[in-house]
Amino acid sequence: MKKITIVLALFIVLIISSCSNNTNEVVVYTSVDQIFSEPILKGFEKETGIKVKAVYDTEETKSTGVLNRLIAEKENPQCDLFWSGDPVRTIVLKNKGITAPYQSAIAQDIDDAFKDADNHWTGFSARARVLIYNKNLLEKADVPLSIFDLTKEKYNGQIAIANPLFGTTTFHIAALFSTIGDEKAKQFLADLKKNNVVIATSNGDVKKRVIQGEIYCGLTDTDDAYEAMKESANIGIVFLDQQGIGSLIMPNTLNLIKNAPHTENGKILMDYLLSKETEAKLAKSCAQMPLHKNVETPENIPSLDHIIPMKIDYGKTSQKLEEIQDYLKIWTNDE
Amino acid sequence: MIKLSNITHLYGDKAVLQDLSLNIEANQLTCLLGSSGSGKTTILRLIAGLETPKSGIISIENRTVTQNKQILIPPHHRHIGFVFQDLALWPHLTVYENIAFGLKNRETTPKQSKKDHINKTVFDMLDFFGLQEYAEKYPHQLSGGQKQLVAISRSLVLKPKILLMDEPLANLDVKLKRKILQHIKNLSQSSIFGLDLSIVYVTHDHKEAFAIADKIVVLDKGEIEETGTVEEIKRSNNKFMKYFLEY
Amino acid sequence: MKNNLYTVVLVAFVFLVVIPIIYTLGVALFVEDSFSDNMQLLMDKNTFLLLFKSIMLASIIALLSTLLGSILGFILYKTKVKFRSFFKIALLIPLFISPYILAVAWKDFFYFFFNNTSFISSYFGVILVLTTIYTPLSLLIVGSALSNINAQLEESGLVIVNLRRVILKIILPLLKPALLSSFVLIFIFSISEFSVPAFLGVKVFTTEIFTQFSAFYNHSLAILQSTLLILICILLLYSERKYIADAPFFSVGNKGTSNKLYHMRNQNRLSLLVLFTWFIISIFLPFLILFIQSFKNGTTQFIKAFELLMLTFSQSIGLAFIGAIIIVFVGFIAAYHSTRQNKTQKRKSFDWLLLIVFTIPSTIFGISLIKFYNQPKLDIIYSSYIILLIGYVGKYSFISAKLIGNAIKQIPNSLFEAAQIEGIPFFEQLRKILFPLIMPTLFVAFIISFVLNLGELGTSIMVYPPGTEIMPIKVYTIMANAPQALTSSMTLIVFSVTLLIITSFYFMIKPFIKKNNFVND
Repeated sequence: MKKITIVLALFIVLIISSCSNNTNEVVVYTSVDQIFSEPILKGFEKETGIKVKAVYDTEETKSTGVLNRLIAEKENPQCDLFWSGDPVRTIVLKNKGITAPYQSAIAQDIDDAFKDADNHWTGFSARARVLIYNKNLLEKADVPLSIFDLTKEKYNGQIAIANPLFGTTTFHIAALFSTIGDEKAKQFLADLKKNNVVIATSNGDVKKRVIQGEIYCGLTDTDDAYEAMKESANIGIVFLDQQGIGSLIMPNTLNLIKNAPHTENGKILMDYLLSKETEAKLAKSCAQMPLHKNVETPENIPSLDHIIPMKIDYGKTSQKLEEIQDYLKIWTNDE
Repeated sequence: MIKLSNITHLYGDKAVLQDLSLNIEANQLTCLLGSSGSGKTTILRLIAGLETPKSGIISIENRTVTQNKQILIPPHHRHIGFVFQDLALWPHLTVYENIAFGLKNRETTPKQSKKDHINKTVFDMLDFFGLQEYAEKYPHQLSGGQKQLVAISRSLVLKPKILLMDEPLANLDVKLKRKILQHIKNLSQSSIFGLDLSIVYVTHDHKEAFAIADKIVVLDKGEIEETGTVEEIKRSNNKFMKYFLEY
Repeated sequence: MKNNLYTVVLVAFVFLVVIPIIYTLGVALFVEDSFSDNMQLLMDKNTFLLLFKSIMLASIIALLSTLLGSILGFILYKTKVKFRSFFKIALLIPLFISPYILAVAWKDFFYFFFNNTSFISSYFGVILVLTTIYTPLSLLIVGSALSNINAQLEESGLVIVNLRRVILKIILPLLKPALLSSFVLIFIFSISEFSVPAFLGVKVFTTEIFTQFSAFYNHSLAILQSTLLILICILLLYSERKYIADAPFFSVGNKGTSNKLYHMRNQNRLSLLVLFTWFIISIFLPFLILFIQSFKNGTTQFIKAFELLMLTFSQSIGLAFIGAIIIVFVGFIAAYHSTRQNKTQKRKSFDWLLLIVFTIPSTIFGISLIKFYNQPKLDIIYSSYIILLIGYVGKYSFISAKLIGNAIKQIPNSLFEAAQIEGIPFFEQLRKILFPLIMPTLFVAFIISFVLNLGELGTSIMVYPPGTEIMPIKVYTIMANAPQALTSSMTLIVFSVTLLIITSFYFMIKPFIKKNNFVND
């Protein structure tokens, strides 16, 4: 009997402790890797005294986590702010009517290209899509400089991209479609397949394969690329198409959730995250490029001032993404 | 003492007992004799209240205990003891604990039932069967015959008026069997511990039955073939009995 | 009284676990307007091709694991091979590790030694990894069946023919139910396994469901596709039950009969070699890789991993502990009523409910829980740990009910009838006779539930309350962009903690079990 009482007591304590009535809190769901996002959220907690309750997820392993959760929770939102690692997810939410508009004063000097026209989302710290290559396997002269070089015979079976149905890779391809047109893009993908492109499970997997020397080179995001350079001295990095269509820049995005329980705190956190300080921290921790002007960054982090970006409209590209997804599924499945 | 009237009992669609009526008299040792599948064990379980018949009435000491599918008096209020074929000794309890279990835990036991009293009752019982030295042993540490005696002691310690025994002596050697049968016979004839005991003893072994029974009920395929004293049965020229005696 | 408790638990289970699933399924089938579109997508030729592939793959894994498990089981439970007791425990280790982590370790292994991962990133890889994970399960099932075979049955054969024929003609037929159970269970586990094929880049039916989820956000189609999977599993389990009726599924401990051990002089070395090889393949190699990766650049990452995980220990362990207690309780109630009662009173419905929930893919179960519980009135459940406990109980009660049910089945009914005649009240019968007798099984059910809870990811990640720290989720989310050494270190830590807890539980309860160790003559 005693044991049962103890267990029961434990149980009750656990339940009570988990639903503390702390109203001075904010609930954030994020698809940005916990290892980078958590320290920033903890910093916010410390500075403002507002308790942050976070749900983490990872785009790396393409978990179904937060985005599906946000969609499933639509009728009774639990989350105040969604911090996405790329604009795609945010735009999916916007199209499903889950986001709420908010114009943050902090983001005034951020280029309008990185913001939603209706203020449903705001971009900050950006990553770029880059090529990483293994210096042991590729001579400097042989390193591709354009994404279209990847269809060349000499890279047959030696290049990797992550599964194009997920994450930033999908967005990259959608951006290609909207930049060069459907027909050319489809031709490019067909040629890529003919060249025996390796389809990795994730960007991290691309990184790993290149480091391990399984393939010459692969497309990935800057954060993975810098991680790769930290892990191995043999990794080189290229911003593709600097003479042509430019590199794809993908900002982090923030959006408020419609009918959220703590909207005001959500706004405070959103302002905090949009600040230069946060961008500086992210530049340091995961090589993200600030969108504000004059943010202090480590030396090796390139500045957006020196990179030719792909000129795209993020909203329209996301729409394109939805259009081409069935095509991509077939492309991925046909072996 | 025990009266079964018009009992029909089914297992699935198969009738095990067919409109069976039987009277078992007090203070006697009645043997239910029959081959396997004759329904003898079922009768025992019906008397105990472990099963209910499809139809029929069972009464003990003029109280109706079972009527058709309804148990009017639950097993533990029927003043019976049951020795199972597999003996059903609780393997996690010692010999002492097995015997004392009912005294300590039954519903009717007052919370502070005198420990000394229980102790004495159990040891008297162990004494009677010569089991004192095994009190702290577990069932698996006992020989076959010792286990039987423990099982019998366990049922007797609660002072039942009826002892139901389901082939408890199967798998015992002849000598041991004879010894235990003698014990049982003594039990039924004397009133040890103030017991006034009627025994219903189920067996397929006619020698066993002849050795101990006051009365024998011969069963076949759920029907009573013959009833009588040992002498009467021996003299009978019932063809079933003859078959039985041939081997 | 006893039926009241059963009714309460059954009703609670239906309301807390089953209704959300029915609700979600109902919405997907009848309410969402895209139903006919989805039906069309579902009936696509490719869907069935993929489903067929998955079935084949799962069959091969189940077959291989059962075969290997039987061989290992025979060596460990039927011969006097050296280091028997060590291998009996050690070979079970892969069961306690998340499949995903083993997949990572294996891929790294192939890279490390062969400089090539294309070999492992294939159907072969999925088969290899999942077979190493599920062979211990088969070993457990077949092993306990082997040790439950009455020695006399074998001995009566041995006096007429040689051992080979005894194995073939007596032991194997007696094992049939266990082999079948092992196959069916492993089949279900493999066909619903997602993380390993996904990581190895092999397309199977679960990854297709997943694609609908996370690339197309088409919940309804994903749910429809899962129902196909669930139907297959239920069909299989149903036929298994029909065929072997109530033969023991898997049980622990050896009750009553003494186990016959063979002394095979010639084969002793061979047996040892088999055990040792399997130990190397299934445990040593993956761990070697994890170990190398954790420590090749010093201990800083290991320490960091420990700091990261430290915060999660108490919450996760507490939750897994409470969850395991509830699971054992629910499992006991369901098992008791489907086995212990008289034939006429047997209630199988609870058993079936547990089974159906068990076959539902984790993500779908998670989505169901969100859709049902995320409403203001049910906030106390949705925003607290209760939602996680509901997830655990739904997913794992079936296994605990199975284990406990088999233990109960092995206790002769007469033990309770004897008590009944003596007038022992029902709860005293439970407390003083049933519980002591099934205590070892209750303990094993508790441990298994605990370990499963502690590693549960698929459902938890969908529903865990914001701001809580749950160990497997943390490992999973941190793993994303963390250096290899950190990932491997976390894996090692999780594993060691799990092992430590199990060991301490064991020592806590050991005196109690020892006392009741009355069956091993």
